[in-house]
Amino acid sequence: MSYAVLRVPDFSLHALRRGDAALTGRPVAWVAGEGRHAVVQEASPEATEVTPGLAVTLALARCPGLLVRPRDPAAESEVTGMVLAAGFTLAPRVELTAAGWCTVDLQGADPAATRAALRERLRELAAAAVPARGGIAATPWLAGQAARAAETWREVVDAGAFLRPLPLAWAEPTKGQAEILAGWGVRTLGDLTALPKAEVGLRLGTAGAVLWERAAGETKRPLRLVEPAKSFAAAWAYDPPVEALEPLLFRLQRYAERLAIELRGAGCVAERLALTLLLEDETDHRREFRLPEPGADVAGWMRIMHAHLETLKTVARVVGVRLVATPTRPPQKQDGLFETGLRDPAAFWENLARVGALVGDDRVGTPVVAETHRPDAFTLVKPADVVAPPEAPPFHATRGLALRRFRPAWPVSVACDGARPTELAGPGLRGGVRAASGPWRSAGDWWTDGAWAVEHWEVELNEGGLYRLAHTAEGWRVEGIFD
Amino acid sequence: MSAAPSTLSALRSLLAARFPEKNRRPSGGVPTGVPAVDAALGGGLPAGRLTEIVSAAPSSGGQTVLAALLVATRAARQRVALVDAADGFAPDAVPADALRHLVWVRGRELEATLAAADVLVRDGNFAAVVLDLRGCDERALGKLPAATWHRLHRATEASAVAVLVQSTRPLVPAVPCRLILGLAQPLGSRRAVRGELAARLDVTMARGHAEARDEGQEALAG
Repeated sequence: MSYAVLRVPDFSLHALRRGDAALTGRPVAWVAGEGRHAVVQEASPEATEVTPGLAVTLALARCPGLLVRPRDPAAESEVTGMVLAAGFTLAPRVELTAAGWCTVDLQGADPAATRAALRERLRELAAAAVPARGGIAATPWLAGQAARAAETWREVVDAGAFLRPLPLAWAEPTKGQAEILAGWGVRTLGDLTALPKAEVGLRLGTAGAVLWERAAGETKRPLRLVEPAKSFAAAWAYDPPVEALEPLLFRLQRYAERLAIELRGAGCVAERLALTLLLEDETDHRREFRLPEPGADVAGWMRIMHAHLETLKTVARVVGVRLVATPTRPPQKQDGLFETGLRDPAAFWENLARVGALVGDDRVGTPVVAETHRPDAFTLVKPADVVAPPEAPPFHATRGLALRRFRPAWPVSVACDGARPTELAGPGLRGGVRAASGPWRSAGDWWTDGAWAVEHWEVELNEGGLYRLAHTAEGWRVEGIFD
Repeated sequence: MSAAPSTLSALRSLLAARFPEKNRRPSGGVPTGVPAVDAALGGGLPAGRLTEIVSAAPSSGGQTVLAALLVATRAARQRVALVDAADGFAPDAVPADALRHLVWVRGRELEATLAAADVLVRDGNFAAVVLDLRGCDERALGKLPAATWHRLHRATEASAVAVLVQSTRPLVPAVPCRLILGLAQPLGSRRAVRGELAARLDVTMARGHAEARDEGQEALAG
């Protein structure tokens, strides 16, 4: 599991329907082209007998009640914003692959939590009239196909078994490739991948080999990452202007849903909402609502705004609306008087798990120095939920620059005058020694199989730099630099 | 020519709505405990901003600044994350009590380490996140796409965390503050009390300065 995809099928049609209350439950089609050249691009299930590619006149003849609309770029932008914001709630590395389609890099994410979060996001989007589909798979392309094939969401574990029965068109062959492959009797992705890749490449060229890789689910690509929304605002216009409450509330709800998902995606909630109504006489009405409790609860926002708008009488009709949410961090547990708790424990543990998956679970934690004089002896423990108050400073003050270690220590040849190092020569470090201090000898665990003994020197090189040398039975090593 | 107050007010509102993160004043700083560094930064590592400290010479005090930061944040009861790309942090070089609030990420591969830093900067539980890139392969660092740093900038601006990048040469494009540690300490410094030694570090502000930053914030805040 490495990538998740959220995508909205029939994107333009769903965006159109979401932005206009009059289209709910009615046969709708969106068309491209003007006049007699207008052609249906997508049609709702209610528009029986209407298929994409049909001329509008023919479509209207087949379905007399059909509502025909052009695309609505503003509504599409809203839906894309919602899908993208939902993606950011899964993981921070998100690509806007296409309109209404985002791909999320799940590296480091907890699989079970991600599946649960994906299901929850799809449910929220569906409640906001955005019927998105989800897919999880090892590559971005495969995750996209999983979302395409899903009823709601689908996780692909065995790529071969998933891809084999799919039609060849899903691998997006060119027209020429499709014709040639049809002539060979290749109908599905499985038919294509049953052929040797090298032979396909020989006959169809590099593009053919690429097509074969796509059909086998082997195509990988880096994501073009985007940033989450930093300002949480929505603005829209009415043409013609409105004077009733219902159309105002309908659009307000739609935009509030997008803002709420964007806020959640950024790990924030709203503490204030600013509503501006632009009026036909070029004046405006502004009202700021301070929320009783910061949150991203659309129903709560709508109750507050509804209560205000219900009693509002404006001197002119409304031509536009602007809604701005002021973000804040979710209210968290307050620190105790003598302890430091976590502000957002859920995010903390989730992010540590994510970091652990990136670098290794054994490489993240709070270091605790072991009770031994053995050099570099420590353990990593789980960070504390509550950090105890600081202790009194140590009686003996720490001296000198802090050591930064080289792990593993660098092997080095050391020329000595007696026991004293005079010159170093190694792949990582070489030079004459200006001053040296030592030796400091330590040993331990001699009563066990893990006995150790080391002699330390601190040296200053002619070119500058203070280093710690360790001399053991295995030879000399540079353990680190005092920096 | 003077603009009407209402126009100015409208412009300020527009800017505040369009760029809320730019208009926000830094919500305090995180003192490092090194007087020269704190003085140069106007009190400490600014929250919501990237700061880069370049250890231009070996033994110029970069690790000592990190150790002092751990002690100072422990005293202030703040949490710190250290994303240690080259796995060079030595826990035994810091008082044991100054480790209790630390989350140490021991890097292995540069890309994964930077992804870990990206996650922690967005976490919201840390007062400071230190990304230590000293000891990493210079060629790999040079090949990092600018988008990596842009993304880190944006993530930092959106949070209240102070992010410190430690490097051996200037690395972060458009960083608001860059300090250079340029003077290698002699062997005799091993006997000096660390607090006194930290006060003697040679710190040069190479980019940005506290007063200019504050003025900029004032101007934006109107």
